[in-house]
Amino acid sequence: MTQENISGAAPSLARLVQELNRLPGIGPKSAQRLAYYIIRLPDDEAYALADAVTSVKQNIVFCEECQNLTDASPCQVCSDPRRDQTIICVVEEPLDVLAMERTRSFRGLYHVLHGVISPINGIGPDQLKLKELFSRLARPDLVEMVVATNPTLEGEATAMYIRRHQGRDDLKITHLARGLPVGGSLEYSDETTLSRAFLGRQEI
Amino acid sequence: MAPPRTYRCEAIILGYTPLGEADLLVTMFTRDQGKVRAVGKGARRSTSRLVGHLEPLTAVKMSMAHGRSMDIITQAEVIEGFSKLKENLTAIAKGQYLAEIVDGFGAEASPNPSLYQLMIDTLQAVEADPASDMPLRFFEFHLLQVSGLMPELYHCVECRVELEPNAHRFSPNVGGTLCLDCHPDDAHLRPLSLRALKVLRLLERSEIAESCKLSLDDSLAAELKSLLSTTVSYWLGKEIRSNSFLERLNSETLPEVYI
Repeated sequence: MTQENISGAAPSLARLVQELNRLPGIGPKSAQRLAYYIIRLPDDEAYALADAVTSVKQNIVFCEECQNLTDASPCQVCSDPRRDQTIICVVEEPLDVLAMERTRSFRGLYHVLHGVISPINGIGPDQLKLKELFSRLARPDLVEMVVATNPTLEGEATAMYIRRHQGRDDLKITHLARGLPVGGSLEYSDETTLSRAFLGRQEI
Repeated sequence: MAPPRTYRCEAIILGYTPLGEADLLVTMFTRDQGKVRAVGKGARRSTSRLVGHLEPLTAVKMSMAHGRSMDIITQAEVIEGFSKLKENLTAIAKGQYLAEIVDGFGAEASPNPSLYQLMIDTLQAVEADPASDMPLRFFEFHLLQVSGLMPELYHCVECRVELEPNAHRFSPNVGGTLCLDCHPDDAHLRPLSLRALKVLRLLERSEIAESCKLSLDDSLAAELKSLLSTTVSYWLGKEIRSNSFLERLNSETLPEVYI
């Protein structure tokens, strides 16, 4: 949206609408609604929002180890001596780290790829944090790598690429179990999920 | 009488992008409607009934409802999951190459059942032999045929003289083979060996199973690959992006891995 599209609005307001309109999922009407909402906010709340945006852009960096987004490098997880240094979990996005941490069942280290191999969208191995991963894998104390990419076509392709290029014979490489989600149903499961769930059946 | 609000179709999923909080915008090539883009509501939730049925390179039976701007996927059931293909990285890369081309050639509301069947047949051939490039060459050649862009292989496209059994030249933009005497001004000319011409003629009259039995030496395989992918890319009007990843995998000598 250009400033001409919202003639009658003050230039500073038009600029705010224009900037909000750039955000994913925000159309022109939503951008206008958000802009007018921000104008009606108390001063301290509006400035806090502006400060949060500025601060995140000034302070967030990639962790030199795991490539996760952090305020200080190395990040809290990488610099925590209580974490298991022998196991590394490879995930697609920073949000996946949060999801894994919520489970409280993994106490090792992470590596964030920041995407998956997606040739159709022009994303190849060089656009991901794979070079950094392969250099971390050279550490001799590392015993296991859990490739926790999403069980999608591109996630699986990325997992295969990592396995093919990791370059160590003595590293245990695993991926997360495939199967039925809690609350799911057999009737609506696809054949791949169901057959993998069957293969991974457990004694009860 | 008002047209029915819902319809059924068979489709191959070409790809998807996230939409909103938990939806997917799915691009598919259907047997009877051509390319369709439709919304899978809540399809990114792990407990959705659609999850697992909308993965790319999957043949699916769909129930859809006409929406105001886009159709809505109400049910999906996998017909052919190509699960063996999805266990092999090179095969996946080949499948993505096919999907990108079909996405580019397929038009919305323009049915092309022959192209649908060609994609199914080619995916099956790639699944059966992931290392062979012949399924891709067969696909590229017959894609041109089912799209009305079949290159001329028996007469010079310029002077119409019957081609002698010699080396000739090929031009994607003037429609096929040229004799050595003709030089159209704007033709993108490239050499065409007699052996390559014979393979193209064989591809024209063969079924996919027969074509995939062909074993070509490296130089002939490279000539055909370059000729056909350049021609497809020319008609597509853009570079085929997944080709570079496929070439990268082909150039590596690392052992194949399976998951």
